[in-house]
Amino acid sequence: MGEPMIRLSGVSKSYRRGGETLTVLDHLDLAVPDGAFYALMGPSGSGKTTLLNLVGGLDHADSGEVVVAGTELGALDGRDLSRWRADHVGFVFQQFNLLSVLTALENVELPLLLAPLSRKERRDHASHALELVGLADRMHHRPGQLSGGQEQRVAIARAVATDPKLILADEPTGDLDRRAADQVLDLLGQLHEKFGKTILIVTHDPLAAARAEKTIHLDKGKLDRVETRPPSPGAPSRPPS
Amino acid sequence: MNKLIRRSLLRHPVRTLLTIGSLAVALFLLCFLRSLVTTLEAGAAAANQQRLWVQSAVSLFVDLPLSYQGKIDGVDGVKGTCKWQWFGGYYRDQTNFFAQFAVDPEPLFAMWPEVEIAAGSKEAFLADKRACIVGEGLARQFGWKVGEAVPLIGALFQKADGSAWDFQIAAIYRAGRPTVDDRTFFFHWDYFEETMKEAMGETPQVGVFVIELEPGAAAPGVMASVDALFENGPQRVQTTTEAEFQRQFATMFGNVPRLISFIGGGVLLAILLACVNTMLMQAREQLREIGVMKALGFSDGAAALFLLSQSLLLVGTGGALGIGLALLTQRGIAGFLSRFFPGYAVQPLTLAAAIGVTAILGLLAGAVPARLAERTRTVEAMRPH
Repeated sequence: MGEPMIRLSGVSKSYRRGGETLTVLDHLDLAVPDGAFYALMGPSGSGKTTLLNLVGGLDHADSGEVVVAGTELGALDGRDLSRWRADHVGFVFQQFNLLSVLTALENVELPLLLAPLSRKERRDHASHALELVGLADRMHHRPGQLSGGQEQRVAIARAVATDPKLILADEPTGDLDRRAADQVLDLLGQLHEKFGKTILIVTHDPLAAARAEKTIHLDKGKLDRVETRPPSPGAPSRPPS
Repeated sequence: MNKLIRRSLLRHPVRTLLTIGSLAVALFLLCFLRSLVTTLEAGAAAANQQRLWVQSAVSLFVDLPLSYQGKIDGVDGVKGTCKWQWFGGYYRDQTNFFAQFAVDPEPLFAMWPEVEIAAGSKEAFLADKRACIVGEGLARQFGWKVGEAVPLIGALFQKADGSAWDFQIAAIYRAGRPTVDDRTFFFHWDYFEETMKEAMGETPQVGVFVIELEPGAAAPGVMASVDALFENGPQRVQTTTEAEFQRQFATMFGNVPRLISFIGGGVLLAILLACVNTMLMQAREQLREIGVMKALGFSDGAAALFLLSQSLLLVGTGGALGIGLALLTQRGIAGFLSRFFPGYAVQPLTLAAAIGVTAILGLLAGAVPARLAERTRTVEAMRPH
């Protein structure tokens, strides 16, 4: 078996708040294979988002080792970590976090500014990503002119525009109604099944977690339990790469 | 990225436009005030090295005895002298005020080659005691032509019967150098002296005497000799070079260049604070977006540059408008201020300084917000509020 996409060994993270030290992750060990779709669940304050931030290189662990896509993130300085994020990770946030002054197309183009692409290539990539999420006809709309579900689909297009191996989603359906949530989850499922993306989502929604192959439950910064979804009939044993 | 910078600035168009407007006014004022100083300095720098000015040691407002002229003429190194007496009259209405001087006619032409006859003739002026010559600017202002009679009401010096002083335009002069005022009115000393004798029963005194040096004569020696000549009165004199005389004249009501510099500095400081305030508001409003950009892979430096670019664009736009306005209005201001600041012009060095100040303002206004963007932690910036 090859190197997992995500490997956490003895990872701890704590914050100081009001003179008190709050341990959010406590010597956590975790492995997520390449091409897997995992969900992270747990009560508020269990360390889900902190874990996602560490895996995405948005924060550093106090101790332990975080290896993602073969890179030990603790060894990278700020600039290298930014570069690494641009190359390897796509983020989807609960509040969409689109830039309100840009159109859907320009939002999707934004991470492509960091890639060595011509203007036309950037535009083609971004258009293609928006077609993929079914928003080709909304590409010149600004976020304020889109529904919540559409905004989140634009955010997913932005996350996949650079073709990263890993997609990290923090409560991607938290602000959506059921129908829009299902559309977003369908999209994430497609990215996993058709394009072999490794997906890790943080969610409180059992229906969202049910889409994942495995659900990791955290409690008080420790691994509580792992649930495995039974394979559906006809599903591929490995996603196509 | 340029689009993002531009649109981020226009997120609050009214605020941005007001800031740009303030910057434009500030940079226009900076160019204008600096141009006033350089115009004053240019006047002094262009002063004739062969001319010395003799005035009362007490004040320019105190006149000198007419008899001094003959004594000054006798000093070694003095080629000739010319009387200058401020007349202080007006044409028809007190608002029609301009500089008028009673002078010695022949020395005027000999000593001021920059006074070039444009219409009429020098001979006509010399031949008639009541003749006058006027600058092109003045002739243009009042629509005067050669041969036209021009009555002036004496405010300081009045005729015995209280009537107007009668003059006839014999020539119109053009300013041979931009620093020479083309709105001055010259007339014969003799006409002035005769009329005043008749009115007051005594010989009038002289405002200043202008000395023309012999070629090769050392100005400091002549100045010392003239001053020494009247050491014991009745009126002590102060002899200066023309450049120094102009400097003193310009600062007669205070140190004008320093005052102008203080005002300019105050304007700049005020606009800097306004720009910093605007940019800090911009930064605070965009913290979350900066967090998103960092999450997408933009470095801390790129985030700082993003805000710094907004600052440079904001200040640069305002600065460009202000500098452009200063250039566009240059001719109009030069005409309007020709009496006090002849040769007003926005010099290339002033433009370069304004561009430099704009760049520094942009960098300073963007420095703190850029640092804020650089240090913003993605996790903190994106935490739900």
